[in-house]
Amino acid sequence: MHFATFILKNLTRRPTRTVLTVLGLAVSVGSMIALLGISENFRESMRDTFEKRGVDLVSVASGASDQLSSEVDEGIIDKVRAMPDVAGVDAALVELSEMTLREPRDENDTPPSSQVLVQAWLPDNFGYDDLEIRSGRKLTPEDAGQFRCMVGYKFAENNNKNVGDTITVLRHKFTIVGVFKSFNLFENGCIITVLKEYQELSGRKNKVTGFSLRVNKTSQNPDEDVERVRQRILSLTDKDGKPFRVSVERPQKYLNDAVHIKITKAMAWLISAVALFIGVISMLNTMAMSVLERTQEIGILRAVGWPRGRIVRMVLGEAIFLGMASAFVGTIGAVATTYLLAMSPKVNGFIEGGIAPWIIVQGFAITIVLGLIGGAYPAYRAARLMPTEAIRHD
Amino acid sequence: MTDGPAGQLLFASDVRKTYPDGAVHALNGVTLGVREAEHVAITGPSGCGKSTLLNLLGVLDRPDSGEVFFRGEALSTRRDLDRFRARQIGFVFQSFFLLPTLTARENVQVPMFEGMPLSARERAKKADGLLELVGMEKRAGHRPMQLSVGERQRVALARALANDPALLLADEPTGNLDSENAVRVLDLLTMLQKERRLALLVVTHSDDVARRADRVVRMKDGRVLDDGTAR
Repeated sequence: MHFATFILKNLTRRPTRTVLTVLGLAVSVGSMIALLGISENFRESMRDTFEKRGVDLVSVASGASDQLSSEVDEGIIDKVRAMPDVAGVDAALVELSEMTLREPRDENDTPPSSQVLVQAWLPDNFGYDDLEIRSGRKLTPEDAGQFRCMVGYKFAENNNKNVGDTITVLRHKFTIVGVFKSFNLFENGCIITVLKEYQELSGRKNKVTGFSLRVNKTSQNPDEDVERVRQRILSLTDKDGKPFRVSVERPQKYLNDAVHIKITKAMAWLISAVALFIGVISMLNTMAMSVLERTQEIGILRAVGWPRGRIVRMVLGEAIFLGMASAFVGTIGAVATTYLLAMSPKVNGFIEGGIAPWIIVQGFAITIVLGLIGGAYPAYRAARLMPTEAIRHD
Repeated sequence: MTDGPAGQLLFASDVRKTYPDGAVHALNGVTLGVREAEHVAITGPSGCGKSTLLNLLGVLDRPDSGEVFFRGEALSTRRDLDRFRARQIGFVFQSFFLLPTLTARENVQVPMFEGMPLSARERAKKADGLLELVGMEKRAGHRPMQLSVGERQRVALARALANDPALLLADEPTGNLDSENAVRVLDLLTMLQKERRLALLVVTHSDDVARRADRVVRMKDGRVLDDGTAR
């Protein structure tokens, strides 16, 4: 018999309690893994988009917490595009807008409305090149003024829409001309339409929420090329000679500083911390009960020569086994939950199924620490038992 | 018998023990020696200090004063009493105290974790050998709940021998057994003591158990009343 076998057998003494503890802890750990996984997928999808599109710089209004709360004068776009080192500009007005999926049946009928992420793009955005057209076609400059749009495939699936169907956004009917798939999580659940007419509809004439760009890297040091363009953009002025109030950052820094990503992550950690605290208490309770019930046995183990250290290792080992089992069950639950959420029409494809391996590894590591914390006091109590008193214990 | 620690396997010199409330003087200066391969029985009325003495001799507890020597070495100076207990002393209890989640074979292996270093396979092999010695080889895979009380005590006896101790301490080893099982366990204890040249110290109320000993120590009120021989 190995020592690990001995520890495992101890856990079979009260199988129902062991299973309930594992399940309770699995909920805590699973919640943490799922929340952190979702927030990481969120960040990763944006990072992936910037990388695949070859974006070198990202610009939003200075001080804006994210693109949704940003507003930049469109005049800067032409100036940036005119720079010799700029290979391409991708500008967009991004908004959460009210949408209805059908027409009123009669004058008393109010169709249900929901929020949709609208991305209004310039006709020459390089982002178009990366969209895989599932059906229909891409938007062209000729679609301007026609109230046409493309929809992400998740949006189309969740709302049962296809090419030729219409949706009403900001009380205007848009005709779907194409269904696309993007490597960007959010684009798959959104609507892409023409910038000019959407600016009019949303009352944000000549405004975009941000832009990204590619830089021609011609020198020996590409970072210097990018930095040079960055500085030039920061020094641009509007028609009145005032500097544009924009921040311009490398994508990695933009993501690191993005307040919405930070908030998502902070919320994930906050909720995880509460769940983990409950998990620690559950573990502590289980292990304390387990030690109390086995007082006499622990006395026997001491009597046959087990030192305090081995008793501590035994109790902590049990706690770690419980933690590992919980992490395993929790991970399965978390992965399943993200896939189920990803399929839900409610989230419009904004959540991606699956969890990054390092989040799972982190989950296991945290659970082991949690097991050690939850098992520490019971282990200390067990180790302090005097064999003669413990043997007499009923 | 009480000349001093020299030549004794175990020697308790004027040991005293008072329980924390101070009201009960469990041992009032007991001096007692046990030689190698000697079979000693300690008898006396309930509360006379037999079990307290056994606990002190088995280093499960420390005396308030006095000293316990093992092969002439004062045990109060040792820092590794757990290891000492694991390797030199085997315990047999009245209530067997087998671990319920483990099989007989696994129960016998429990003390081996602190004995001489053995692999898991070697531990299992040794446990099988000990179970065979006590006639329990066919029940090696059974858990305590699946065994009769007599069988449990035989498994407990095998466990006590796990690390080939020099001294076996038995606290009322037949106290929970019917007469038939009691005789069987006693026969086994006596046989093992002789064959393995173990020192055996048995605390008992039973005259039948005491009669088998080389020497019977009678106690009363925490003192040795009579340190004589039974036969």
